[in-house]
Amino acid sequence: MNHPGDTGLRRRAGDAPPAIADLIHEATVQEITEQAWLALVGEDELLVPLPAPLPADTLSSWVEIVGPWTGSVVLTCGRATAVELTTALLRDHAPDVLEDEDVDDALGELANVVGGNVKAVLPGPSVLGLPEVGATPPAGSEADTCRVAVLWRGQPLTVSVQSHAERENEVPL
Amino acid sequence: MKILVADDSRVMRQIVIRTLRQAGYDDHDIVEAEDGRDAYDKVRSESPDLVLSDWNMPNMTGLECLQALRGSGSDVPFGFVTSEGSAEMREKAADAGALFLIAKPFTADTFTEHLDGVLA
Repeated sequence: MNHPGDTGLRRRAGDAPPAIADLIHEATVQEITEQAWLALVGEDELLVPLPAPLPADTLSSWVEIVGPWTGSVVLTCGRATAVELTTALLRDHAPDVLEDEDVDDALGELANVVGGNVKAVLPGPSVLGLPEVGATPPAGSEADTCRVAVLWRGQPLTVSVQSHAERENEVPL
Repeated sequence: MKILVADDSRVMRQIVIRTLRQAGYDDHDIVEAEDGRDAYDKVRSESPDLVLSDWNMPNMTGLECLQALRGSGSDVPFGFVTSEGSAEMREKAADAGALFLIAKPFTADTFTEHLDGVLA
């Protein structure tokens, strides 16, 4: 699933950790996300690459990657979109009323699949954490963030490969 | 035939089971386990013909489960279904005795390709 432009190893001179902009393209993150959607959500579930403002009430899921590049892969959408995604993932097994636990599970697993494939593009060895769900975690600098905004069924959704606000990787000058 | 599906995500267990059906394995009994420890216990109690296990799980990872099974003398056919499919992980899986590693996201065709030799 590597984008042709990604070598995954474009390290700057020295031993300082690289910034995400040096390691992965937005197109690669978008392609990984699209593959996850087509396989898990449904083969007709297209993601349209159009940025749109997220609603006020959002939910995020993320997995942490710890290695030569350390940060998180964060999926964010409106809470109503998260519920719709959960129903789409469960299909015939979706209950009439979803529990919060089901929504957290579904959104977390999408972040897990996208994060696992992002990890495969980044230089290793690295370790993938277990999915977490909650309020959107703060990102590090813009230069150490690779963010993709799409529409799913007309609703905005973002995937952000981002360093931690308190612990950034090296940012190119 | 009985298949044990181990994943800490209930949603992903449903997706794996649905994909098994789509791949044509709809006459097999399915048993679910919610982590590696549960999978280990259910291999003992349910005697499945195949284990399909996530890698990254709380309590006991899929790899730890496989290693514990092999260490206890179980030779149950075991394959991983995981979000990571690096060469390093495939090597670890094979070294521990796994038959295959299916990376998420997967399709019914991927399941057929890896499971036909085991369940035929």
